[in-house]
Amino acid sequence: MFAEFLRLAGQSIAHRRLRSWLTVIGVFIGITAVVALMTIGYSLEKTINSQISGVFGTDSFVIFGGDVFGRGGPHGGDAEGYALDLEALKSLDGVSAVAAVRRRNGFVQGKPKADGTALQGILPVRGLSYELVTEFESFVGELGVQEGGRLFDPDETSVTVLGADIAERLGVRVGGTILVAGDGSNELDLEVVGILLQSDDDPANDSFVSGMSQTDEDDTINVPYDTMDLLWGPAEDVQYTLVKAATGYNVDEVAGRAEEALAERGSEISTLTYTDLSDFVGSMTAAISGFLAGIAGISLLVGGVGVMNTMFTSVLERTKEIGVMKAVGAKNSHVLSIFLIESGLMGLVGGIVGSALGVGLSLVGVSLIDRFTTGFDMVWGIDPLLIVYTLVGSFALGAFAGLWPARRASKLPVVDALRYE
Amino acid sequence: MAGSVALLELRGVTKDYKLGKTVVRALRGLDLSIEQGEVVAIMGPSGSGKSTLMHILGALDRPSDGRATIESTDLAAMKERNLVTLRGQRVGFVFQTFNLIQTLSAQRNVELPMIFQGVSAGERHRRASELLGKVGLGDRVRHRPNELSGGERQRVAIARALANDPEIVLADEPTGNLDTETGTAILALLKELSVNDGKTVILVTHDPEAAEIADRVVVLRDGCVADDRRSPSAGGES
Repeated sequence: MFAEFLRLAGQSIAHRRLRSWLTVIGVFIGITAVVALMTIGYSLEKTINSQISGVFGTDSFVIFGGDVFGRGGPHGGDAEGYALDLEALKSLDGVSAVAAVRRRNGFVQGKPKADGTALQGILPVRGLSYELVTEFESFVGELGVQEGGRLFDPDETSVTVLGADIAERLGVRVGGTILVAGDGSNELDLEVVGILLQSDDDPANDSFVSGMSQTDEDDTINVPYDTMDLLWGPAEDVQYTLVKAATGYNVDEVAGRAEEALAERGSEISTLTYTDLSDFVGSMTAAISGFLAGIAGISLLVGGVGVMNTMFTSVLERTKEIGVMKAVGAKNSHVLSIFLIESGLMGLVGGIVGSALGVGLSLVGVSLIDRFTTGFDMVWGIDPLLIVYTLVGSFALGAFAGLWPARRASKLPVVDALRYE
Repeated sequence: MAGSVALLELRGVTKDYKLGKTVVRALRGLDLSIEQGEVVAIMGPSGSGKSTLMHILGALDRPSDGRATIESTDLAAMKERNLVTLRGQRVGFVFQTFNLIQTLSAQRNVELPMIFQGVSAGERHRRASELLGKVGLGDRVRHRPNELSGGERQRVAIARALANDPEIVLADEPTGNLDTETGTAILALLKELSVNDGKTVILVTHDPEAAEIADRVVVLRDGCVADDRRSPSAGGES
């Protein structure tokens, strides 16, 4: 019987073509806006997530000092550094690779000049695990060294790779030495094995590591991680640690265990996995697109009122028809169904048209964002569930708006309805 | 009348309407019984209660007081829902203004009462075609009401009235909007329903010609039966 009612309702809509279309327009404007905004939000989230996963993979996580998102913690995230037992972390079940970055300001002396003087200063010294390059390439990015130089080899300690500016100021070249003084009487002569290429200023080309360091790459003195031990002793100045989970382990579980194990050893740290970041990004984009879609939703309300108005008019001008239907055996529930289906159909058509236009509009929006931003390859994506919800929701909106008029129609006394002119 | 139970039986039926604060009594203790297969013309001046009587005979409305039964089933005791089923299955209506659904073809208009009774699509289609053929519109099934003449529209309405094979066909001024010639043809068609199919046909009318095809003419005045006589042409019976 539903199929028949659908047909009756469809014929009635088709009969009042102009008014039906005007009503549908009222509905689809709102739906277009909602679908477009939601889809742009979804695309944004997807793009950011794919960029994050490009860096993180899904098997790695980062250990920061304090609280990742800066919510309290003794170091407030902007850490001086935290203590780290690297060996303990490495031997933890489920950890396949670890790389850490330490940072100190240390007394550094360059190459003595002809007159015996040498440039000295307190300069940032950064200790890098060898695994950074071998295991966490995606975090580090391209580390270019100037011609003739190289990066560290494993198990080297008396070497350094300098930032381009500091090498110039210290007046050293590849093959030269600098002196770095640590705690107490610790002092090392380090051979300069490489000088980094001048970093360009385009932030889009920043690697994760350079982005996370609160130092200027070009002014930093990089040394092997173990060298830091020799100069300043066990690590208490770690900026961040990258950890890769072994195959078959859940990265979030491993991160949890690492957090516990390190906390037991007195490290004030927190971990950040792909899931954490992705959740954070997800909740941000959801909040933004939800807010925008909420505003657009107001126009949906207006569309619903339009449907209600049309249905009331329709009930009024079809009073006699309703009387006839009841005289030939239509129950109240039949009349109610026919009118509800009719208003629901108008909603649904609005939903279909609105979804199509919304998807189109989001494509335009995404390509505009892609064009007018640099370093951000915006990718369009759509959540198929959004379309399903939109279509179901638009039918429901129409039916709901038609509920009151339809009830009025169904309750018309047949004798009065038949007499109506 | 062989002592059988009357198809329609009204005993002391009154019907009151409220118009604002005044109560209008449309029927005042009316008695009437109608047998299966009769053609009855109900006549009377405007305001005599013809329409009200028709509403009650057609199970569109319930009496305020008194008994109105269709084959011993009391209308007053029935719920609205059952009243709908009753008229859907046992009463077919023909109106002065045809009252076809403008958006539907002749075929679909005839199918409509069957849709509400849950008749299958195939059966509906077959029966609607058959009925339209019977009223002489076999070649116009796809036409919309506004593409048909008045006479043709009334034929569609008669076919629709017969859709669920009811015992009673109630026609309210069926010739009122038709020219004489077409009206005569429609009346002949209604008469056939009684003669060939044994339907009970009740005509509410001003048309003296309609009275001529009736077996019986009931005249109302002020909500009561003023005259009830067998038409001489009908002859035969008691």
